[in-house]
Amino acid sequence: MKRDERVFLYGEDVADYGGLYQVTEGLRDEIGEDRVFDTPLSETTLGGTAVGAALTGTRPVVEIMFGDFLSIIADHLINYAAKMHFNYSDDTSVPLVVRTTYGAGDQFGLHHSQDPISWFQNVPGLKMIAPSTPADYKGLLKSAVRDDDPVIFFENKQRYDLSGEVPDGDHTVPIGEADIKRSGKDMTIVAIGGMVDVALDAAESLANQGYDCEVIDPRTVMPLDKETIIESVKKTHALTVVHEAARFGGIGGEIASEVADEALFYLDAPVKRVGAPFTPVPFAENLEQMYLPGAQDVETAVIDALE
Amino acid sequence: MVAPEERKDLHENLLLNRLFEEKVLEVYEDSGIPELPHLSLGQEAVGVGTVFALEEDDWLAPSLRTRAVTLMRLSLRDVVTGMFGTESGPTEGRTTQHHLGSSEANIMGTTGMIGSHLNVAAGAGLTAQQLGEDRVTAVFFGDGAATRGEFHTALNFAAVEDLPVIFVLENNQWIEETRALDVIAAEENISEMSGHNLPKEVIDGQDVDEVLNTVSEAAERARSGDGPTLIEAKTYRYRPHAEVIPERRDEDEIAEWKERDPVELHRDYLLDNAIVDEDWLESTRDSLMEDIEDAFEFAEEDSLPDEEAMYKVYKDTDVDMYGGVR
Ligand SMILES: Cc1ncc(C[n+]2csc(CCOP(=O)(O)OP(=O)(O)O)c2C)c(N)n1
Ligand SMILES: [Mg+2]
Repeated sequence: MKRDERVFLYGEDVADYGGLYQVTEGLRDEIGEDRVFDTPLSETTLGGTAVGAALTGTRPVVEIMFGDFLSIIADHLINYAAKMHFNYSDDTSVPLVVRTTYGAGDQFGLHHSQDPISWFQNVPGLKMIAPSTPADYKGLLKSAVRDDDPVIFFENKQRYDLSGEVPDGDHTVPIGEADIKRSGKDMTIVAIGGMVDVALDAAESLANQGYDCEVIDPRTVMPLDKETIIESVKKTHALTVVHEAARFGGIGGEIASEVADEALFYLDAPVKRVGAPFTPVPFAENLEQMYLPGAQDVETAVIDALE
Repeated sequence: MVAPEERKDLHENLLLNRLFEEKVLEVYEDSGIPELPHLSLGQEAVGVGTVFALEEDDWLAPSLRTRAVTLMRLSLRDVVTGMFGTESGPTEGRTTQHHLGSSEANIMGTTGMIGSHLNVAAGAGLTAQQLGEDRVTAVFFGDGAATRGEFHTALNFAAVEDLPVIFVLENNQWIEETRALDVIAAEENISEMSGHNLPKEVIDGQDVDEVLNTVSEAAERARSGDGPTLIEAKTYRYRPHAEVIPERRDEDEIAEWKERDPVELHRDYLLDNAIVDEDWLESTRDSLMEDIEDAFEFAEEDSLPDEEAMYKVYKDTDVDMYGGVR
C-alpha cells in the first residue's frame, strides 16, 4: 500500500477493529482512513464496488470475513471480475484481491467452516492463492496485489497462529510457482493451503515407516504449476492429493487427471485423493474432526497406494 | 393488548430468556460451550414480545441473536444439546442451535449468512398466500442485515405481493464492532433507508408491551390480506457481539441502556399493578432455574453423535454414491 497509492483496503470491521482475525490491525493508523475503512455488512457492496473500482484505475483489496460468504459475491467474481478482460476492447483487466478465511476446526458450523476453493476452480479468469507458510503469505499477498487479474486469496483460519521466518523487505513469491516443501522419492503428495502442514506431518510419520514422501505445495491453485507436479511424479511414480474440500469434485480430481494425461505410464500405484466426505461441515466436536482430513487419512492413503 | 391473566406467562418467558442467557455466559466462561454464544441479553423483549403476540403455527425466522425463538418453541434440552452438539440435539450435532430449522416448531432454518433469510421468509409468505393458510411469518434481523440488498428486495417483493410477513428489525445500534450509523446513511432510524410502500413502525424495543401490541397489529393486517409491516425495535445488547470479541463500546452507553432494562421494566409493571408479588417472582425464578440446570446437566452428560449422523445430505440418496463417506 505504501508502494502504490492506487491500492486501498476495505471490508467489514477491518479498519477500526483490525479485522475479525486481526489481520489488518494497525493498518488504518499506518496508511490512513481514506485508504483503510469499514463498510456496511454487505458483501454485494464489497464485490460489486471492488469490481467497479478495479475496472477504473484502482487496485482494491477487500476482505470477505468468511470464505463461505463468497457465495454472495459469486456473481461479481464469476460473471464480472473473471470475464471483463475478455469483454473489453482493450487491455483493461480487473486487478482486485479478495482476501478471505476458510476451513473447519473451530466448531463454527456449516456456514463458517467451508473450503470454497472448488466452487471457483472451473472459472476461467480467476486466480486463486492458498499460502501455507508465513513467508509465502507475505510474498504471495504482495504478488496478488500487484497482479493485474482478480485474485481470491484464501487464508486458513487454523493457521493464523503459525509462526515462521519471514524475509524482510520487498519479498514476493511468483504466482503460479509451486514449492517443494519436502523432497522424497516414493510418493508425491500435493497438498493445498492448510493441508500442507497435515501432509508434512504425515510424511514425517511415513518416513519412520519406510516411505519417503515428497510434499508439493502448489501455493497457487490457479494458475496451477503442473510441471513441478508432473516432474515429481515421474520421479516418485505415485501421487496422492490432499485438500480440505470434499474429495468428490475437488481440485484433487483435476490434478489427478492432469497427471493421468501427461504421466500415466510413470505411475506405479493408484492415485489417491484425500478430502472431506461429501457432506456439509458438521458442528459436533467429534464429527468435525472426523470430517477434516488429517495426517492419519493421508498416511492411510499413501500406504494403501504403495502396498 | 395483553390480558392480565397472560401477564404472568409473558413475564415467565422474559425471565426464561434472561436467566438462560446468564447461565450460558456463566457456563461458557467456566467450562466452555461448543456453540460460540451471541447473547441476546438486553434484547429479550423484542423476541419474547413478538413470539408471544403470534400463534403457534405462525412461522418464525430468527436472527443469530433471537434466542427467544428457540427458547419459546423448543424444549430447553433441545436448545442446550443443540448448543453442545451432542447426539440428543435437535440436529444430532450436525449444526448449531442458532440456525436450525424445525417444521414441527414452525422455526424456519436459517444460515450463517446474515440477512439471507429475509427473502426466504418472504417465501413462507408466498406459501401462506398460495395455500390460503392463515399464517404469518415473522423474520428477525439486525441493523447490519439491513445494509444488505436482501433487505430491500425482500421488502419490495413482500409489499408488492401483500405478503403476510412481519419484518422485525432489531436495531441494537451495532454491527459487530462497527457502529451502525457510521455505515448506514440514516439520521437516526434504520428504517429511513426503506422507501418501500409498507407500514413502518419505530418502537421502543425495551418495552415488551409496545413490541407485543405493534406485532399484534401487524399480524392482524397480514392476516386480513393487507401485507407486510416493517417494525424497527430500538434495543441494545449488553454483551459484545460474540463472547470471543472484546468489549470496546463506551461504558456509559452500556450503562445508560441498562437503566431501561426490558425484564425489570416489565417486572416493575407487574409489581406496581399488584399482578404478582415478590414471592411469585422468586418461586418462578427458582423453577425456571431448575429447568435450565436440568437441561445443562443433561447436555453435559449426553454423548457425542455417531459418525452416521453427519451423512444426512439428501432425503433419498446415499452420499456413498459420490465417493462421500470416508
Ligand atoms: C453475510 C454475512 N456477512 C458477515 C457476517 C459476519 N457477521 C456475523 S454477525 C455480524 C453483525 C450482525 O449485525 P446485525 O445485523 O446488526 O445483528 P446483531 O449482531 O447486532 O444482532 C457480522 C458482520 C455474516 N455472518 N454473514
Ligand atoms: Mg446490530
